[in-house]
Amino acid sequence: MKWLYRAISLLAAIVFLAPVIWMLVVSIKKEGMKIITVVDWFTPPYSFAVYDEILNGTKLTNWMLNSVLVAVAVTLLTVIIAAMAGFALSKVPFRYRAFMFFFVLAGLLIPGEATIIPLYQVAKDMDLLNSYEGLVIPMLASPVAVIVLKSFFDGVPNDLLESVQIDGGGVWRIFAHIMLPLIRPALASMAILTFIGSWNNFLWPFLSITDDNLFTLPMGIPTLMSQYSEDYVKPMVVNTIASLPIMLLFIIFERQIVKGVSLSGIKG
Amino acid sequence: MKMNKMRADVQALLFLLPFLIVYLLFTIWPMIKGVQMTFYKWTLIKKMDYVGWSNYSKMLRDQEMWDALWHSTIFVILTTPTMIVLAIVLALIANRKSRMQKFYRSIFFLPSVLSVAVASFLGLFVFQPYTGLVNSVLHLIGILNEHREIYWLTETNLAWIAVSLITLWWTVGFNFILYLSAMQDIPDEIYEAARLDGANDRQTFWSITLPYLSPITKTIAMLQIIASFKVFLQIQIITGGGPLDQTRPIIQLIYQTGFKKNDLGYAATMSYMLFAILLILSIIQYAINNRKGANT
Repeated sequence: MKWLYRAISLLAAIVFLAPVIWMLVVSIKKEGMKIITVVDWFTPPYSFAVYDEILNGTKLTNWMLNSVLVAVAVTLLTVIIAAMAGFALSKVPFRYRAFMFFFVLAGLLIPGEATIIPLYQVAKDMDLLNSYEGLVIPMLASPVAVIVLKSFFDGVPNDLLESVQIDGGGVWRIFAHIMLPLIRPALASMAILTFIGSWNNFLWPFLSITDDNLFTLPMGIPTLMSQYSEDYVKPMVVNTIASLPIMLLFIIFERQIVKGVSLSGIKG
Repeated sequence: MKMNKMRADVQALLFLLPFLIVYLLFTIWPMIKGVQMTFYKWTLIKKMDYVGWSNYSKMLRDQEMWDALWHSTIFVILTTPTMIVLAIVLALIANRKSRMQKFYRSIFFLPSVLSVAVASFLGLFVFQPYTGLVNSVLHLIGILNEHREIYWLTETNLAWIAVSLITLWWTVGFNFILYLSAMQDIPDEIYEAARLDGANDRQTFWSITLPYLSPITKTIAMLQIIASFKVFLQIQIITGGGPLDQTRPIIQLIYQTGFKKNDLGYAATMSYMLFAILLILSIIQYAINNRKGANT
């Protein structure tokens, strides 16, 4: 029984890892070699010439930088904006609070894909197409983030705030110096999910960007691939270059990422 | 907080303002604008002709639209149950105490950090005939005769299987983590008590683990259905919607209608069809989650 369990586990790991290993191996294979069986992929001659060619001869690194810039900007702004809104909904006793809460909650029911066509028209009217601003600003409204962060602010006891106020702390100080540090795990979790979402966002850049200097990776990669029909080596080099930084990040931050994902399930 | 009422209102507004601006401009306003667009023949250069309800009546008779909806539904049916079973199996593997525990957790989540484009292109090459990874391995271990090939991407049924397998591989990591953390929340004493009563591994799985996972399973199932309904890029890259549009999902049809056929009005109308379906699914999900306050 135990060996069966181990065998299945190992097999699953191999299946999950195989495409990534294959990608890495093919990417360092010399171009134009004859491939007869699967073993041929793994044998020499190896060569890094294609890496040079792709890194220097295409805009791939450009697009990667775009993807990183856009994802970082979207993540920071989304989390800050959502934290502010979540704080107001949770801790500031203003009029119409219940109405405002439902107004945000309703946003959970509006999928971005369903409003993407009119969003294109709206962004066009505002002259946001083909710009970094256009890649970032329309993606910042995240009702999910507001609701999740609000529920974490709800968990902070009110007497804590009152004691700070007696000390003469203003509402901004309470927010920035007391509340935000208290919900740091939730902020990190939201940030990780927003980053991955933005990193993978395809539909909006695809519709709103036509200038290839502004492409992000999910858009640039298919454009590049359509030129390579001969061999697997160039496409695999593209895939590898696009994946190595994010895989490295994953290895470094694995614990935080895993924690972030599991936290999202508790509240999601 | 003891605050002057007026002051509280102003402060709340200041805190809410950044969110409200982007929310109103880029979520609420497009939704309203979209309704207007459905009543026009509306082109990319904003040439607008009022056409009344004709986009709607055209849509209801549009076989391509129903086909695309059906294709998205096929994808939902293929990926949702398999996703749940696979995520549970992987979580069981990684939950088992062993030296390999951390290794398994990393390996199963790793594909999830890849860009959707990378995952899709990897899939495209993995399923190529002759030199693709799957067929070569099948040749090597003798399951597939060396003179025969499986044409994964040019036969509709096989193309569905290939696209689903890639999607499972690429996205199961998130659900796997959710299950893993749910399993780790189950108190050890319950298992110990069961073992003292002579229960074996299989019995504890069916009568302890699985019931404990049922709230999270409901959530994952609904989120998965909604996510699968919105499938686009994997199919666009791996099959291009083919063969003969037989795998084209609704989002691809909306994109083609708007941007290739230059008919944003009709594309918007079809988006509202998708919207209606997703809305119903979300309401069902909300109802399930809030029954007995599960999953909080």
